[in-house]
Amino acid sequence: MAALLELRTLSKSFGGLLCIDHLDLRVGEGEIVSVIGPNGAGKTTLFNLITGVYEPDGGEIVFDGRNIVGLEPHRITNLGIARTFQTLRLFLNMTVKENVTAATYGKTKARVWQSALRTPFARREEREVDALAEEKLAFFGTRLAGYRMQQPAYSLSYANRRRLEIARATGTSPRLLLLDEPAAGMNPVETHEMTELIGRLRREGGYTILVIEHDMHVVEGISDRVVALDHGVKIAEGTFDQVATDPRVVEAYLGVKATREEPEGP
Amino acid sequence: MPRIGTDEWVEQQELRTEYYTGLTAPARRAFDRVGPGPRFFAFLAICAAFPFLTDSPFLIRVGVNVLLFALLALGLNIVVGWAGLLDLGYIAFYGFGAYMYAWVSSSQFDVHLPTELAIPLVVTASALLGLLLGLPSWRLVGDYLAITTLFFAQIFVELALNLDRINLPWRDQPLDLTGGPNGIPGLDPMRILTIDFLQTRDYFFLLLVVFALVVVGLYYVNESRTGRGWRASREDPLAAELMTTPVNRLKLLAFAMGAAIAGLTGSIFAAVQTGVFPQNFEVTLLIMIYAALILGGAGSISGAVLGAVIVASVPEILRTPENARLLFYAALVAVLVATVRPWQRLAAVAAATVVFGVAVHELVSLAWPAGDEGASAGGSLGWLLDSWILVPAEHQDTIGNVGFVLMVAGLLALTVLGGDRRLVVLVPTIYLAAFVWENRLIAQPSVTRQLLFGALLVAMMTRRPHGLLGTPRVENPI
Amino acid sequence: MDFFVQQLVNGVTLGSVYALIALGYSMVYGILKLLNFAHGEVYMMGAFIGYFVLTALGGASSPVLPVAPLLVLMFLAGMLGAGLLGVVIERFAYRPLRNAPRIAPLISAIGVSFFLQASALLLFSAQFRTYDTPQLIPFSTGIEAGPLRISLVRMLVIGSAIVLMVALTLLVSRTRLGKAMRAVSYDREAAAMMGIDVDRVIVATFFIGSVLAGAAGVMVGLVFERVFHFMGFIAGLKGFTAAVIGGIGNIPGAMLGGLLIGLAEAFSASYISSTFQNLIVFGILIVIMLVRPSGLLGSPALTKV
Repeated sequence: MAALLELRTLSKSFGGLLCIDHLDLRVGEGEIVSVIGPNGAGKTTLFNLITGVYEPDGGEIVFDGRNIVGLEPHRITNLGIARTFQTLRLFLNMTVKENVTAATYGKTKARVWQSALRTPFARREEREVDALAEEKLAFFGTRLAGYRMQQPAYSLSYANRRRLEIARATGTSPRLLLLDEPAAGMNPVETHEMTELIGRLRREGGYTILVIEHDMHVVEGISDRVVALDHGVKIAEGTFDQVATDPRVVEAYLGVKATREEPEGP
Repeated sequence: MPRIGTDEWVEQQELRTEYYTGLTAPARRAFDRVGPGPRFFAFLAICAAFPFLTDSPFLIRVGVNVLLFALLALGLNIVVGWAGLLDLGYIAFYGFGAYMYAWVSSSQFDVHLPTELAIPLVVTASALLGLLLGLPSWRLVGDYLAITTLFFAQIFVELALNLDRINLPWRDQPLDLTGGPNGIPGLDPMRILTIDFLQTRDYFFLLLVVFALVVVGLYYVNESRTGRGWRASREDPLAAELMTTPVNRLKLLAFAMGAAIAGLTGSIFAAVQTGVFPQNFEVTLLIMIYAALILGGAGSISGAVLGAVIVASVPEILRTPENARLLFYAALVAVLVATVRPWQRLAAVAAATVVFGVAVHELVSLAWPAGDEGASAGGSLGWLLDSWILVPAEHQDTIGNVGFVLMVAGLLALTVLGGDRRLVVLVPTIYLAAFVWENRLIAQPSVTRQLLFGALLVAMMTRRPHGLLGTPRVENPI
Repeated sequence: MDFFVQQLVNGVTLGSVYALIALGYSMVYGILKLLNFAHGEVYMMGAFIGYFVLTALGGASSPVLPVAPLLVLMFLAGMLGAGLLGVVIERFAYRPLRNAPRIAPLISAIGVSFFLQASALLLFSAQFRTYDTPQLIPFSTGIEAGPLRISLVRMLVIGSAIVLMVALTLLVSRTRLGKAMRAVSYDREAAAMMGIDVDRVIVATFFIGSVLAGAAGVMVGLVFERVFHFMGFIAGLKGFTAAVIGGIGNIPGAMLGGLLIGLAEAFSASYISSTFQNLIVFGILIVIMLVRPSGLLGSPALTKV
């Protein structure tokens, strides 16, 4: 399988503290890869490095055959890497639909004067953007589509905000989706729904997915491959069963050398 | 508590549609049903009819001021309302546009460009200056950006005041760029195609056309990818950047567009008053523009326009004592009608106020005859007020000042008291307000304007912080 | 050399006044993230109160009290009056806006500023008042060491400014109230959940900040002798600038910023061109802001992604 994203000896430190330590990672086209690890293992930092929020101290990030280190975040996203945020960073005062249309900025071309004069080109582009947003939201069914599209984002429930984060990311028409704890704070029913949704995202949306998740049921349900991080170092990689029973992973989660069947999220 | 299975939005759905109550509700609902387009054309039609309804040069001049203010507020709205950048240097672009127009259309350098060339030149130069002064927004946020841009505004005024004697090595005489404190007088009137702009009325129509174009353009831009990009960067710059929005470029674009509109407005302003002077571009004006925008509702085009209409026209009404008096009592009655309910209580308050006034009047006349021997109010309401309001012949100012302080205390008390106690304070406060008005305020229109303007801003913000036509916002809890 | 020292003393005097005003801005900002634009007007009212106490007690030419208690009384009245005014402003203009968008309290503050300025104009008229300090304490009294001369009044102003700043620092670092203030400024909601009465802390902050502004008002009346309704605007702007330069919300930063602006003003006026004095000061400030975007002593805000 061709690698869509490849990290080569990626390193990043903050004030002398190594957060990512010579990390190598490959994500193949169409794969779903989960990143697990205890809090502070460097998972979110990894996402921030890939999306250009931080610049790495060393190493390469190759996306679709091109080194993207040093590009501005909006350019990286425009190349086809979109992410969600663990802490939810929606445009709260904009409507649900606008949250998605706002993400199409990089794919649209109308100049300000064209928009101000409503030239046919600007109008056509607006119609396309509108249709695209409706299509992306329809993926989530009645959770986001229908009457909810005109609601301000702040009126959404917590779980729906998480869904909108994903919808917004798909609005950038990416090839690779980075999901940062998509099931955090959800109840079991919603978590189950999220597991299915991620599967559908690959099947129907055709996205390659790199996901950070703490809930091991979700990880088990979706992953082709699991990567475990601790202190910025990759400590295990393989299928879910291989990683979950790896003694080093168990140790990283529980802090002692223990032999348990299944590690639990902290 | 929301019903189970219903989120907050659905829960409040009825509240939103049934929001309007009272007598005016049908009218307001009808207003909502009319789209923004027809509303805008109705507004334009009223404005266009205005110069035909009056001959007074003063009123036309007020109309010109309203439109100038509206344009300024619209430009500021791009930066503050949409992009969410606190730009306190905005006034410099207005001033720059005015001076730039003066340089290319006066005897200062003996350059007299045709207006068709001068205006694009001014707008382009202002936009470039906007790009330049917008650069700090890449590094500075919030109040730090505000203070830095405020320095630019201050620097502009300093430059305008002092760039009248620049010694250049290759010139014998010092170069006079701005005319210093005296400014640059005697600008050419505008002449577009074959139309000469000679009277204020001509400029009113020019401004109206410019205003219409700017509003339509901004409305469309706001609905476009650019508008969404601005709003997204305002909500959460990092998330916007990660959703393909080039935040820094959009910030500069907002600065440049705001500056272009301000520069354009400045050039027309310069032509209207046929001169530019440093004192036209001071921080007070900046505050007025901000007040107009926030009062109307930042982020809303109609809000910016409404705010500008209020800020630029209401103070003018206070200029003549007769109008000011009518406005004052009308406003007093309106506020009472709007806030005191039900009508029985309102009637009681009104009766009590009259009785209270007459009683005070009689008592003071008995105890201290000089207490009501001052000049009578006169005018159309004079006969009513004469036996109600005291006008002391001696120590009028001192007594008036005491009354003023007491009235402020009464007003403040009204905002915290509830129930019957509120009514008890209300009656003497109304009386005091009228007393202070007749004895102190009406004679000093400029002070009164400032007082009322300040009080209006505070009252407005504490009641409706999102402005008259703005939308309430939730702040991002980051 | 002595000219230099003279300017230094000038700058320090001016700077300590700015620093006192800046402290009020900075403290309020630290707690509410609010630019209290009306702060300059509080300072103006402090100066007027000092003036009226002086006048009521016989004026500078024939005071009914000895100089020392008279000054103490003027300072106390000015500070207390300003403090109460600050509390009233907070209660009526800012408290209803606690959870409103950031710009709303700013506009409300501008409204208060307009209102107070107009009230001063109405109550005290537009004429300039003067403390007439030389009648009270001749400017010739003071220390003289060779070419260096510092008048008693200036020493008094600088001295009391230092005392006030030390007192404030102790208050913030040593007392229960100070600890509560730091907690509220760090995280208002968490502080409330830990049992801190946030409203009281905010009122106390406004009171203390306004007391400092009132003291600054009386000091300016004593040294520069001109009291008028518009004096608060420019001084407020400079104090605000000082607070931002030092790193707004940061108490030592406000002191440093005030001192810097005072010195920059005194020296650029006397050594460089007086025409371009303000230009130079503003130019320096812009450079400082661009080099240190959160002020000299401010720490950059942490952003968690």
